[in-house]
Amino acid sequence: MTRGHLLRNILRVAFLCLVASFVLAPMVATVLGGFKSNAEIRTNAFALPASWNWEFYGSIVADPAFWRYLGNSMLISSVAVVLTLIVGAAAAYVFAQIKFFGSRMLFSYLLLGLMFPFATAILPLFIKVRDVGLLDTWWAVILPQTAFSLSLAILLFRTFFEQLPKELFEAAYIDGCGYVRFFWRFTLPLSAPILATVGVFVFVQSWNNFLLPLVVLNSREVFTWPLGMMQFRGEYVTEWNRTLAFVTLTLVPAIVFFLAAQKYIVAGLTGGAVKG
Amino acid sequence: MAEVRLKNITKQFGPLTVIPDISLTVPDGSFTVLVGPSGCGKSTLLRIISGLTMPSDGEVMIGGEDVTFAEPSDRGISMVFQSYALYPHMTVAQNIDFGLRLAKTPAAEREARVAEAARILALEDYLDRKPGQLSGGQRQRVAIGRSIVRQPKVFLFDEPLSNLDAALRGQMRVELAQLHQSLDATMIYVTHDQVEAMTLADQIVVMNRGQIEQVGAPMELYDRPATEFVAAFIGSPKMNLLPGKAIGRDDVKTVGIRPEHLHADQASGDWPATAKVVETLGADTVVYADAGELGEITVRLPGKMRLTPGEQLFLSPERENLHLFDQDGKRMEDPS
Repeated sequence: MTRGHLLRNILRVAFLCLVASFVLAPMVATVLGGFKSNAEIRTNAFALPASWNWEFYGSIVADPAFWRYLGNSMLISSVAVVLTLIVGAAAAYVFAQIKFFGSRMLFSYLLLGLMFPFATAILPLFIKVRDVGLLDTWWAVILPQTAFSLSLAILLFRTFFEQLPKELFEAAYIDGCGYVRFFWRFTLPLSAPILATVGVFVFVQSWNNFLLPLVVLNSREVFTWPLGMMQFRGEYVTEWNRTLAFVTLTLVPAIVFFLAAQKYIVAGLTGGAVKG
Repeated sequence: MAEVRLKNITKQFGPLTVIPDISLTVPDGSFTVLVGPSGCGKSTLLRIISGLTMPSDGEVMIGGEDVTFAEPSDRGISMVFQSYALYPHMTVAQNIDFGLRLAKTPAAEREARVAEAARILALEDYLDRKPGQLSGGQRQRVAIGRSIVRQPKVFLFDEPLSNLDAALRGQMRVELAQLHQSLDATMIYVTHDQVEAMTLADQIVVMNRGQIEQVGAPMELYDRPATEFVAAFIGSPKMNLLPGKAIGRDDVKTVGIRPEHLHADQASGDWPATAKVVETLGADTVVYADAGELGEITVRLPGKMRLTPGEQLFLSPERENLHLFDQDGKRMEDPS
C-alpha cells in the first residue's frame, strides 16, 4: 500500500467515524444516562457514570405499566405495518398491472398524501376519529397511521411491481392463474425486499409517533410508549435518568426489527433484484 | 391436437392498425412458423391465438371451436416465451407443475406427468433447483416442459431460441423438431430468423406489415416466392433483385435470381461485373460483385473456384431459375 493510499483510507475512516459519532453519541448518552443520577446527567452527560446504578432500569422493567405501553406500541405498529403492506401492495398492484381510465389521476391524488405530515391534519383527524367513535382505542392510531403511510408505500411498491417481467404474468395467466392469485402467489413472494423496506419505515414511524397517540389516546390502558414516557415529567421536576432508561429499553424492539429486515432493505433500495 | 383457424382477424392499437385483415389455417399436427421482420405483427398474431391479446375483429377457432372470447387457460394451448418467463421463486418441478395444480389435477397424475416431461427433456436431475441455478438451455427446456405437461392441443412458441447462443440454438432446434415428431401436436412458432423457419417448419407463413405475403412449405417458398418480399426474405445469402432490363424485359419490374443459380465465367456471359468482396467458406465461395448499372450481385460459387477482389468476370443466370415480379411486387408466371 502506498503512502497516498494509506492517507486516503485514514481520511475515509476518520470521516465515517465522525458521521457515526453524530448518530451514536446521543444514543450512548441515552443508554448511559439511565445509570446516572439527575445531577450527574446535568454536569456530565456523555461520560461513563461514576457508579453503575441499575435501579432505574430495574424499576422500569419491574413496572407492569412499561410492559403494557410496550405491548400497545408493538400491537399498533405491527397492525399498521401489516395493513399498510396488504392495502398498499394491493393498490400498487392494480396501478402497475391494469390500465384503466383515470388511473394516473388517482395515482397522483394518492401521491399528494406524501406532502401531508400528521401535524397539518391533526385537528380534522381528531374530529373524524371522534365522530367515528374510535377515540381511546388502538384503531384510532392504527388507521390514520396506515393511511398516512400508504402514499409512500404505493409509490415504492408500484415502481417495484412494474419491474417484474410482464411475461411472468402472461405465463401464469395461460396456466390458468388470475390476477388475485397472481398477486398472492407471485407478486408478494417476489417483492420481499420492497416489503421489508416499507415495513421498516412504517414500523419505525409508527413506533416513534408521539403526536397522533397524544391527541387520540386518553386512558393509560391504551397508551403507547412515547406517551408512557411522559409520566416521568412532573410539573417542576423531570426525572431524566428514568426517562433515558425508559427510552433505551423501548429502542430495543425497533432495532431488532430493523436488523431482522436489514438484509432485504439494501436489496429493496437498490431495486431490480428480481430476474425473470 | 387441433386445427387452428383464423378468420378475418384485425387488430388496432389505438389509431395504429397492426393487422389489417388476416385469415389463416394451421393444419392439425403441423409445425407452422410465422416469420417476418420485427414489427410485422407476427407476435401479435400469436398472442391473439393464445388469448393474451383480443383481436379488434374476427374469429379464432381451435379444433373447430370458436375461442375468440375464451380465457387463455380454456383454449387448450400453451405458450413458450422468448424470456422463458419461469417462476423464479419456484423449483423446476413446481414450475412444471403449476398449471396442473391450478387445473386441480390429482396429485398422482401430476407427479406422473411431471416425471414424464422431465424424462423427455432430460431434466430429471434438476427438478429441485430454482431457475436461477440453471443454464440458458436448461431454462428453455423447463419452459417447454411447462407446456408439455398441460397436454395442450396447440403449442405456441414466441421466438423461444433467440436468447440462446448460436451453438445451443442449433441443438435446441433439433430437439424441438424431435419433440414435434414425438408429440405429434400442432405447433405455431414465431421467429424472425428465416433459417429457423426453413429448418423447422412444414408450413411457413411469411408476414410483412401485418399482412400475409405467402403461406407454403419451405421449399415452395424457396422455389416459387409469391412476392418480391418473400423472395428477398427467404434464402441466405439473399436473392439478387435486379431491374427488368437485366434480361431485356420492360414489362418486368424486378427480376430475381438466387446467388446459387448464377454461373461465373472469366471469358464470356450475360452480365459483366467486377468482384468486390470474396468470402471463401470452404464448401462454397460467396462473391459480391459490382455489375455496373444493374447494381450489386451476390454469387455463390463452388469452393474450388478461386477469385480475387478486383477481378473481372461474367455472370450468367440459369434461365429456369429466374423469378419475375410485376409493378406490385407480385410474381409473374412465364419465366421464358
